[in-house]
Amino acid sequence: MRHTCGARIIGLLAIVVCASVLFAPAPARADLAAEPIGRVEPLSAPGPHSVWVSDGVNERIALVDLDTDDMRGMVDGGWGITAGVFTADGRIWIPETHYSRGSRGQRSDVVTSYGPGSLTPEGEVPIPAKRAINVLPVGNAALSDDDRFLAIFNMTPATSLSIVDLERRSFAGEIETPGCSLVYGAGARRFLMFCGDGAALWVELDDEGNAIRKIRSERFFDPQVDPVMEKGVRRGTTWYFPSFEGLIHEVDVSGPVPTFSEPWSLVSDGERAAEWRIGGRMPLAVHRSSGRLYALMHQGGPHSHKDPGREAWVYDLERRERVDTIELRNPGLTYLGVSMEFGQGWLWPFSRLYDWALSMTPLGVASLAVTQDDEPLLVTGSEFSGSLAIYDARSGQYLRRVITGNMTNLGIQAPYGGATR
Amino acid sequence: MDRWVTHVSRSLARRTSRRGFLGRLGAALVGGAAVPLLPVARAQAAGAREPAPGEPDPTSPAGDPNSCEYWRYCGIDGFLASCCGGTHRSCPPGTEMSAVTWVGTCHNPEDGKDYVISYNDCCGKSPCGKCFCNRNEDDKPIYYPSKSNDINWCMGRAGVVYNSTTAIVLGVATEPDR
Repeated sequence: MRHTCGARIIGLLAIVVCASVLFAPAPARADLAAEPIGRVEPLSAPGPHSVWVSDGVNERIALVDLDTDDMRGMVDGGWGITAGVFTADGRIWIPETHYSRGSRGQRSDVVTSYGPGSLTPEGEVPIPAKRAINVLPVGNAALSDDDRFLAIFNMTPATSLSIVDLERRSFAGEIETPGCSLVYGAGARRFLMFCGDGAALWVELDDEGNAIRKIRSERFFDPQVDPVMEKGVRRGTTWYFPSFEGLIHEVDVSGPVPTFSEPWSLVSDGERAAEWRIGGRMPLAVHRSSGRLYALMHQGGPHSHKDPGREAWVYDLERRERVDTIELRNPGLTYLGVSMEFGQGWLWPFSRLYDWALSMTPLGVASLAVTQDDEPLLVTGSEFSGSLAIYDARSGQYLRRVITGNMTNLGIQAPYGGATR
Repeated sequence: MDRWVTHVSRSLARRTSRRGFLGRLGAALVGGAAVPLLPVARAQAAGAREPAPGEPDPTSPAGDPNSCEYWRYCGIDGFLASCCGGTHRSCPPGTEMSAVTWVGTCHNPEDGKDYVISYNDCCGKSPCGKCFCNRNEDDKPIYYPSKSNDINWCMGRAGVVYNSTTAIVLGVATEPDR
């Protein structure tokens, strides 16, 4: 009886305690503070593993941090492929073509600038409405090595250069370059161009941006036999241009006129017999401090110079020898910025189902780039996807895929973390 | 799945602003194995057609202007005007044909002759997004304009906005293509 009474008391106490806990007023918590409307993030300095990726559909370049997989921001261009020009003061310059009514109306070409720490346009320089529009992410605009002048390739189809004075932010003038196309930086006030007969044109400017010298070199290749691709890379004072047949043409721009070394081959006789070729949209990249050259290679016939690559072949530029081979994965498929990837957590071999499915499509690697820091990343992209595949550029180990938010990843620029030329 | 993939690829292609990229995406997404079959299926679905004089059988890929394998398209890099409201010899309504372009040389299997083909672009409306073809025979870099299909040949009065490409016979090739 006593036991029963004690149990009742304990039960009653328990009910009281529970009720007090359940129905007691909640401790006072501070309200969330009202937040300001209209705030826009500034752009912090891009890290060494930040890359700009061109989207041919959305006509923009997106800034992507490969370490955090974050899209940091974007810059819109106009008709044609958007590609940035990066000066040492942290500015970005974008040559653009617009129409007053979208795809029709009055055409206007400008160079728009973006200051450091901002992706808001800070100004624009009108240029002649002649800017060349083609499918190349490189070779259509170039800086003089002193960052003073920007040269923009024009094609109407008559060829010329528009020179922009970046210091005065004004159009300096137009230089006729009949028979010669594209443009590459080649010194403090010099530019290099390709001519249709296999020669190079050397254009030198004065302090006002006028041409004081135009020198046409001897032919250094035969475009009828083995054309040199326009898709070159620069290390110091040397440009490296691959040919359709896999020869590397080195152009030294350190002297008063360009000089050309004897070309050397990316492929051995056996590899050539097996039809290994360089190909793609951006098939060459260089890590400048280590002197490693990365070439996008595939097996294909004589007209396959734009075909996507299966492997990245790595060369030591000093020895002109291949030192490594990186088997590439498909960069992956996205739609509206969403990865289509599936099955990574599944049991083997089902975890490789996505890679297998991608390997059955020609959704291959069209472009590659390498960051310029001491722990470089090799970045590969497809012109049909908004996904990048990332590798350790030194070991070749595949790391991960990164979504850029782009519909396509047509060109990749890695201007941070090391020498830009 | 095929229908979804086709829808995705066409949606992408409709939004493209550069010649080529998403047309190839469409071709890629539809699946490598299926691609060679499509022109055949399309040609069969079109029913019996009379061959044009001197042209291959239109029910064969080499004779079907809506097929990338059509004999005139040996050097093409772009959307077929014939899939976009035009024909292989004329541009879609409302566009304007570029006055300048590059020329290739293609072999006509019907008469065994080589012909000079002019790949004039159709301009002024956004990229068609249908029937992208990229064969690149005899294509050369941009510094060799008369042989380069990487150039957007929409320029001058026609404006720079690329829509699609035609393949027009200029005549019999009388000398080696150089």
